[in-house]
Amino acid sequence: MTISETDQQPRERDEVFLELTRSICPVCKRTIDAEVNARENQVFLRKRCPEHGEFEARVYGDAEMYVDIQRFNKPGTRPLQTQTVVKDGCPSDCGLCPEHKQHACLGIIEVNTGCNLDCPICFADSGSPRANGPDGYSITLEQCATMLDAFVAAEGEPEVVMFSGGEPTIHPDILAMIDLAQERPINAVNLNTNGIRLASDKSFVAELGRRNRPGRRVNIYLQFDGLEAATHTAIRGRDLRGIKQKALDNCAEAGLTVTLVAAIEKDVNEHEIGPIIRHGLGHPAVRSVAFQPVTHSGRHVEFDPLTRLTNSDVLHSIADQLPQWFTLSDFFPVPCCAPTCRSITYLITQGHPDDPDFGLVPVPRLLQVEDYLDYVSNRVIPDYAIREALEKLWSASAFVGTETNDERLTQVAEALDCADACGVNLPEALAGITDNAFMIVVQDFQDPYTLNVRQLMKCCVEEITPDGRLIPFCAYNSVGYREEIRAKMRSVEVAPVVPNALPLQPQLAATPYGSKRVSP
Amino acid sequence: MSAGLDAAAVKACCAAGYSSDLVSLLLGDSYHPGGLTLTRQLFDRVGLRAGQRLVDVASGRGTSTLLAAQEYGARVEGVDLSAGNVALASGAAAAAGLADRAEFHLGDAEDVPLPDGCADVVICECALCTFPDKRTALAEMARLVVPGGRVGITDVAADRDRLPDELTGLTAWIACVADARPLAEYADLAAEAGFRVLTTERHTNALSRMIDQIEARLELFRMTAKPRLEALGIDFAKAGPVLEAARRAVDDGTLDYVLMVAEKPCE
Repeated sequence: MTISETDQQPRERDEVFLELTRSICPVCKRTIDAEVNARENQVFLRKRCPEHGEFEARVYGDAEMYVDIQRFNKPGTRPLQTQTVVKDGCPSDCGLCPEHKQHACLGIIEVNTGCNLDCPICFADSGSPRANGPDGYSITLEQCATMLDAFVAAEGEPEVVMFSGGEPTIHPDILAMIDLAQERPINAVNLNTNGIRLASDKSFVAELGRRNRPGRRVNIYLQFDGLEAATHTAIRGRDLRGIKQKALDNCAEAGLTVTLVAAIEKDVNEHEIGPIIRHGLGHPAVRSVAFQPVTHSGRHVEFDPLTRLTNSDVLHSIADQLPQWFTLSDFFPVPCCAPTCRSITYLITQGHPDDPDFGLVPVPRLLQVEDYLDYVSNRVIPDYAIREALEKLWSASAFVGTETNDERLTQVAEALDCADACGVNLPEALAGITDNAFMIVVQDFQDPYTLNVRQLMKCCVEEITPDGRLIPFCAYNSVGYREEIRAKMRSVEVAPVVPNALPLQPQLAATPYGSKRVSP
Repeated sequence: MSAGLDAAAVKACCAAGYSSDLVSLLLGDSYHPGGLTLTRQLFDRVGLRAGQRLVDVASGRGTSTLLAAQEYGARVEGVDLSAGNVALASGAAAAAGLADRAEFHLGDAEDVPLPDGCADVVICECALCTFPDKRTALAEMARLVVPGGRVGITDVAADRDRLPDELTGLTAWIACVADARPLAEYADLAAEAGFRVLTTERHTNALSRMIDQIEARLELFRMTAKPRLEALGIDFAKAGPVLEAARRAVDDGTLDYVLMVAEKPCE
């Protein structure tokens, strides 16, 4: 991006220029042009701010896969309602603005900024200093109702709302908020928690279990970064292993389904990816595992943007660490968002992984998923009902255990089309299949370094704000919307958060919450 | 797995046009290796163009046939031995609004109920290996296609003399593969029928993936319907070694998946 080449001989560049897009300056957050390039079979996003210079970040660890999966891209669906008008262009008009390419598959409501943990890594920059600080807040029941109404107005019948924070289980009204969601045409509630209250307060878990009923499911989205003490200390600041196990057991007892959610940080817990899956397969409450390469928004440990982890690194780790069960080709991108944002597989399992006759079949080995979800090649597909079922399964709104999910899995099982062969009625034999279904999700959220407006414009995971907007999750955490909402909620000034990145160190100062800001 | 079938039964099963119970169980009724991706490659290799007349021999549920109509603008006819498949394919054609240029007929590949020279292009996917009389089937294709027209075939290829013992035992899916021929023999058969072979390609990955799929389905059946299938003679303990042998056969070239395009010379 410089024009200072002085060599006499023409030289070839060491990278393939894939796309020109827009991003933001990680320091001042202004919108700037960005290039996406492939180099040494990895994908990098590079950009230059006229004031703060050049920035580059690794955005996908497998360039071949990055290019290949672009075809898993579904035409978007317009939401029923947008909340803003287009003025300055993406990502400055959230949201959603009328130019957004996709409706919201998943809406997130952050009910507070306080937490009963002070983790070294937290994209929301939550914790006790925040709770007691000038810009900490908890939403009221009225605000929660407004936010849910905004979501329903935009979506009609949303599939799932997630309550998050902070730590939502310490909000005194959290059960009432779940009731508010369940009174509305929202099929499922996901509760995003560190599990501390679930481990210690059995009557609370029972209350959640009571609310988990057909057509109104409650799933626990449990922070779970690994099985080793060192992992917990590095990411959470204390050893939570006993608490996690107790939380899981209490959920099983209350009939609640659980998603294990692991933040994966380079050189900290990459090696725990396989063991986390195995642990999940062995616990009766766990029906899915979600891996998220650490998002370098909010608070995090110092990192090098050029070596950060991406989705493809997690996918390779799964295949490398559990070769007896998985290959790379068992995972397919979710086509409702940008294909490099989220990849999923479903498994049908039987028994405990330690049993000698434990059974595990990745669903993509049973049918040619690409014949249905490759929207670029396919103008004709074998069966539109199967495509529709796969679309619902390969979606950000998919949670194992909901009736929608069960129905779609059954539909896909029926597509195995050998009804009555050998007197085996497969659909009938598979009637119980949904109880044995297990989902693995790999989701890379964008941060101020990696933000690509092309992906952001099709984001289907939205933060619902107290003023009734739906802001794409990665814009909320990267562009400055989180700071804007905090300032507005408490009528105070909030300094923009800047990534704790290696190249930025000389310019950084600490905030009271552990995140970084520009040195005054 | 199924040790009790004799050769005649195998032929009968395969001649039944893929509706054999065990094959259906292991592969599904509408499966062919390579999926739509390989189907499109086949259409590209035969040079299918808008307005051309295409006949799909052993058209199954008509997925490829309708793809030719919808994506390539061809006028298409499919022939299949299963009345159920013909009905499903006709229904799919109507649903896609293609009833005016897609027709499906009940019929045998060795005696196709269509007139001479009715096609510019004939395709046959993953079915020739199952036809007991391959010469007659190819002669039928030669009869259907106009001079200068083309036939496109994808199929399992097997060097039967080198097939490992595990695979010559009459396991269910090999039941059909057992009458697959080496690529060179398919080419000779096509030449005998009067075709000039233009292209042959190997698509080994499609076959590897088919083996993965069979393994996955077997595992699913073990989990969901084990007693029932064991009563029918499927030995799950033997399936692993058989599939391993199949993978080795694919690796050393004994088993393969091939694509062949041939032209009927102008008089």
